[in-house]
Amino acid sequence: MKKFLNDPANFVDEMLEGIYRAHPQVTYVNDDKRCLVVAKPKDGKVGIATGGGSGHLPLFLGYVGDNMLDGCAVGGVFQSPSADQMHEVTKYIDQGAGVLYIYGNYTGDIINFDMAAELADIDGITVKQVVGNDDIASSVVGEEHKRRGVAGIFFVYKAAGAAAANGLSLDEVTRLADKARLNVRTIGVALSSCVVPEIGHATFSVGEDEMEIGMGIHGEPGISRKKLAPADAVVDEMTERVFAELPAGAGDEFAVLVNGLGGTPKEELYILFRRVSQLFEARGSKVKYVWIGEFATAMEMAGASISVLKLDAELDPLIAAPVNTPFFAHYKA
Amino acid sequence: MDAIRADDLIGLFQSWRDMFATEREFLIALDGKVGDSDLGITMSKSFAAAYDTVAAEGAAAGLTKLLRSAGAIMAKTAPSTMGTLTATGFLRGAKALEGKDAIGTAEAAAFWRAYATGIAERGKAKLGDKTILDVLDPVAGVLETQAASGAALAPAMAAAADEAEAALERTKTMKAQHGKAAVFQEQTVGLQDAGATVGVFLVKSMSAFAAG
Repeated sequence: MKKFLNDPANFVDEMLEGIYRAHPQVTYVNDDKRCLVVAKPKDGKVGIATGGGSGHLPLFLGYVGDNMLDGCAVGGVFQSPSADQMHEVTKYIDQGAGVLYIYGNYTGDIINFDMAAELADIDGITVKQVVGNDDIASSVVGEEHKRRGVAGIFFVYKAAGAAAANGLSLDEVTRLADKARLNVRTIGVALSSCVVPEIGHATFSVGEDEMEIGMGIHGEPGISRKKLAPADAVVDEMTERVFAELPAGAGDEFAVLVNGLGGTPKEELYILFRRVSQLFEARGSKVKYVWIGEFATAMEMAGASISVLKLDAELDPLIAAPVNTPFFAHYKA
Repeated sequence: MDAIRADDLIGLFQSWRDMFATEREFLIALDGKVGDSDLGITMSKSFAAAYDTVAAEGAAAGLTKLLRSAGAIMAKTAPSTMGTLTATGFLRGAKALEGKDAIGTAEAAAFWRAYATGIAERGKAKLGDKTILDVLDPVAGVLETQAASGAALAPAMAAAADEAEAALERTKTMKAQHGKAAVFQEQTVGLQDAGATVGVFLVKSMSAFAAG
């Protein structure tokens, strides 16, 4: 293992110290660096909180900022933060209009966010939840509730953040976030493992000439392990599953996110996008918004994921809305 | 005693705290067989914090407020799964007793039913999954029967404690489906579940307290 570390036990807290020094628009509450919030919450706006394990930057905390999220509870590497940390974030970002939790579908996170919502309820804060489950490789159609949440949550954040910035009510922000959730699908492919600093060695191994389609962002088993194919063939196989669930026909419009898992150069992500774009073109569909880069990583895992959001008249302006966060800025086109 | 009132409840939390302090090492060893050994630490820390909180608030806060405060501080103190589930039980139990100022047999039944249901919902556990639910669900059932037949609190809790022991014995034949223990499914057969053991300890302490 070659990593820039002082003490592996301080990996998360030292990372956070760097974040606070670099980005004064975020700060923390309850004297706990793992309770990250916007420095200046907007009066009367619905608060949006997220949370989850570390090791996925820019996910989750990187999207706390203008017109996106208001707070994030930060866990250890691949570990859920505590209900108490989520509750502290909730209390700070509630501006009287309630709080929406948006996070990925993982057991530990669900238990703790549910608990935090119950504690917030005792304080008289209304909390709603939207749980991301965009990873189509993690369970079959009909069992969507078992699917994990991965990079596609980016679109849910963006839709909800814009809706809240527009001054909509908690019910409306929740409805729109849920609409984005239901219209996004993601599939990933891994070329190598990741190393959890406190463990110090690879979580699993992928052979030199192999790839694993559908692997999760903590190394959860995927759908198939096979010989690495040319990039176009890999994209064809991955997107076939996406198109089966999100039909793309003539005139349909989409937003696409090609996400690097941490160890794959941007050049390769553009090679993947080239093929993705060709496939939409062949179907007569339009890719209206494109983001390519690292949005949800798995430490140094090599690989990529493709997330596709089907747009409609309601989602389109929310995805187009400008945002400015420490890890992601998007200005008006 | 015929009922547990707010001032008694503070004493009950003291009993729970003392019991988990005594059983700390036993639970660490039991959990260590198939889990991550933190159960004894989680429980002793949670109940110590809960007792301090209810003692500081005092009986004047009222029965349900004390239960709610205990649940809230537990969620804060021990953010492990079992700590969160135990906390949930107290918060749901408090909700079920809203407006009551004493726990008689019917209220004990309502409390443990809400406790068990809360844990099942939050932990997404079913009966037979080898969890604390496999103890608390039959305990609530016995208390409901006792309440229907008009039994006083002390004998009703004694019957519940007996059922808890029997239910724990039955978890030995089950295979773990949740948490780190699930990784060891087959090897868990023959072992009593650590979380279920916590359930037995809670009910037995409450029974001893009601008898005193």
